[in-house]
Amino acid sequence: MNTNLDIKTKLKQVLVEELNLEDLTPAQIDDDEALFGEGLGLDSLDAVELVVVVQKHFGVEIKDMEEGRPALQSINTLAAFIEEKQK
Amino acid sequence: MGKNWQHQFFYLAIRFGGRRLAYFFLYFVVGYYVLFSRQARRRAEPYLRRRFPNAHGFKRFYHSYRLILNFGRVLVDRAVVGIMGPQAFKVTLHERERLLSLLDEGKGLLMIGAHVGCWQVAMAALDFMQRPVNMLMRREDGDIDRHYYEHAGIECPYQVIDPTEYLGGTLQMLGALKQGEVVCVMGDRTLGSERSSVEVEFMGGTVELPYSAYKIASTTGTPIVVFFSRKESSDSYSLHLAEVIRIPEIKGREAQSFIPYVQKFSTALEQYCQQLPYQFFNFFPMWRK
Repeated sequence: MNTNLDIKTKLKQVLVEELNLEDLTPAQIDDDEALFGEGLGLDSLDAVELVVVVQKHFGVEIKDMEEGRPALQSINTLAAFIEEKQK
Repeated sequence: MGKNWQHQFFYLAIRFGGRRLAYFFLYFVVGYYVLFSRQARRRAEPYLRRRFPNAHGFKRFYHSYRLILNFGRVLVDRAVVGIMGPQAFKVTLHERERLLSLLDEGKGLLMIGAHVGCWQVAMAALDFMQRPVNMLMRREDGDIDRHYYEHAGIECPYQVIDPTEYLGGTLQMLGALKQGEVVCVMGDRTLGSERSSVEVEFMGGTVELPYSAYKIASTTGTPIVVFFSRKESSDSYSLHLAEVIRIPEIKGREAQSFIPYVQKFSTALEQYCQQLPYQFFNFFPMWRK
């Protein structure tokens, strides 16, 4: 089973690769940095991709906004969500 | 368009005299607006100038009158549906079987329409799919007519997804598609940020159209159906499937990759405007460049 640290590392990596965040490296993403708006600067279109990426790479489905909103705040919240779902 | 009391006046006319009485009053109300409301003429002008480039003076005025009169009729029809129910109109749906087979693929269905005909009436024709229908639309204060189902105590036949909500409603759209539901969006007006729009050709000019729905389709493999409603007669509408668009997986943040697909929609819409010039009711300034 992936540890929280493993998940965060992989998350950052797939985020940069799958969303083509060309000016960014995984190491530059802070765990607490906001994913959307100010912070990492992702937007609603990236959210679509991110939901699919999470399912593809972690086998975890973000079903609706009730789940998605708290989970998609930062790397920390998303990793915690994935860890919880993988239990 | 129109003030609250004017809407209420037409609701009363419909209740007591039916659709025809409301239509009758429209001739005068629209005549007044076209003659005295510069704003009404100005809002119709960008489209009419492109659709009828050789019309000037009285001819342009005539086209404005016909376009706004038709728009008024659609507003009346919208209210009629709210007051009397969808059975007040005969709605014909073309290519029903094709829609069903697309739904059977199990990835939901994205229906991209435009501000043409009367989509509220056309929604009544989607019952046969037996799937929940979601509509991406902005809830605006004072837009009484749009929520007339609620005012009339009639169950709204579609679920509203608000694009001003968290992440532009994309998570709700994804959730609905995952459940195999239908999501309808308007393809001829941008609702969010500029990043979610691309430039395409439309009626001899460049317009910005949204591509969020195309992005979702690319990510989820959902087929897109371009559909347009049209008013056929005073009491009938039809719903036409103009195009089926399939988008391969397109990774990354490059909006340009979606231009060919959005252009397909734009071309289909232009063909509609050529056939039915007085049924295009997008009074938004589309050609800003």
